[in-house]
Amino acid sequence: MAINLSKGQKIDLTKSNPGLSKIKVGLGWDTNKYDGGKDFDLDVSVFLTNANGKVDKESNFIFFNNKQNENGSVVHAGDNRTGEGDGDDEVIDVDLKSIPADVDKVAFTITIYDAESRSQNFGQVSRSYVRIVNEVNNEELIRFDLGEDFSVETGVVVGELYRHGAEWKFNAIGAGYKDGLAGLTRDYGLQ
Amino acid sequence: MAGINLVKGQKIDLTKGNAGLSNVIVGLGWDPAEPARGFFGMKKQANVDCDASALLLSENGKLINKTNLVCFHNKQNPNNSVVHSGDNLTGDGDGDDEQIKVNLKEIPADVHKVLVVVNIYDAVNRKQDFGMIKSAYIRIINAAGNSELVRFNLTDNYTGFTALICGELYRHGGEWKFAAVGEGSHAAHINQLAERYI
Repeated sequence: MAINLSKGQKIDLTKSNPGLSKIKVGLGWDTNKYDGGKDFDLDVSVFLTNANGKVDKESNFIFFNNKQNENGSVVHAGDNRTGEGDGDDEVIDVDLKSIPADVDKVAFTITIYDAESRSQNFGQVSRSYVRIVNEVNNEELIRFDLGEDFSVETGVVVGELYRHGAEWKFNAIGAGYKDGLAGLTRDYGLQ
Repeated sequence: MAGINLVKGQKIDLTKGNAGLSNVIVGLGWDPAEPARGFFGMKKQANVDCDASALLLSENGKLINKTNLVCFHNKQNPNNSVVHSGDNLTGDGDGDDEQIKVNLKEIPADVHKVLVVVNIYDAVNRKQDFGMIKSAYIRIINAAGNSELVRFNLTDNYTGFTALICGELYRHGGEWKFAAVGEGSHAAHINQLAERYI
């Protein structure tokens, strides 16, 4: 049974699940509360950072225009998702054992595409969550519901996988960003 | 105390920061936009009749009975905790054009959300939309002392929309919060809007 995390909580992933390597990170949300008249396009982006929390090269920034890192250990499934585990809007496949040694953290973010001109923000988004599924048996390992802390933000750092000694852990972050993907890429050292 | 100005999407605690708060007034205001001037002077324009309503929704966001739609043809819910203070036909003048009184402590336990909307009466026949309205706002007033707690000015361009979802009071844990929504809707009538929540 999945463990429900609360904001700020950190949990061992590989230690309590020996042999775990291939995981699916599913992110979901609801945006259909009102018929605001404009499409609501949320995007998941993943930042692979070094020990200093910075992205060394553009190929370590995984988003709709760059769907995987160089060795294919982190892959944005985009629209090719299987439909398994209904509810996920976007899924990232991660092979923990194959993540390059110079990557210390895998940070998952959700941003609103074209938020400013469409006058949208996370105040209109509800029931957002991230969950980690063991790809081998489809068992849901952990789940983090983001709650309703967000409002004027247009980007959210949902959580991050990070190395801890020889293991991988997950940190439920839930931090909002007011300037969307641009702000995130800047803070992760890409601009 | 001056009210807090909210921006679209913002959520704010009402009862947590105002211990004892129970009776609030939801004030809604709007003005007709300046009519286009014809070559021979002012062009006469029909009144835009905006109506405020409150939809009392369950935890699942549903309108569980007709009496939970508080509007000009049903001015209060069964236990009088949400009361519409009356229809204003023109929107002329300063201040609130319509008000809805809410007693937060008395709201039935099965109501989790009070969605406050404004729609244009007879919008389709009169060919009217919210592009003809300006300076729309929703504000929450503490009925004890009449101080304004929060205000949300709806500044988006709502041309083409016939209804505005202004904001919502909602339960969060044991408290009440307010969310500034500011979304347009194409519902032509309040009953049509309400049908979405059935």
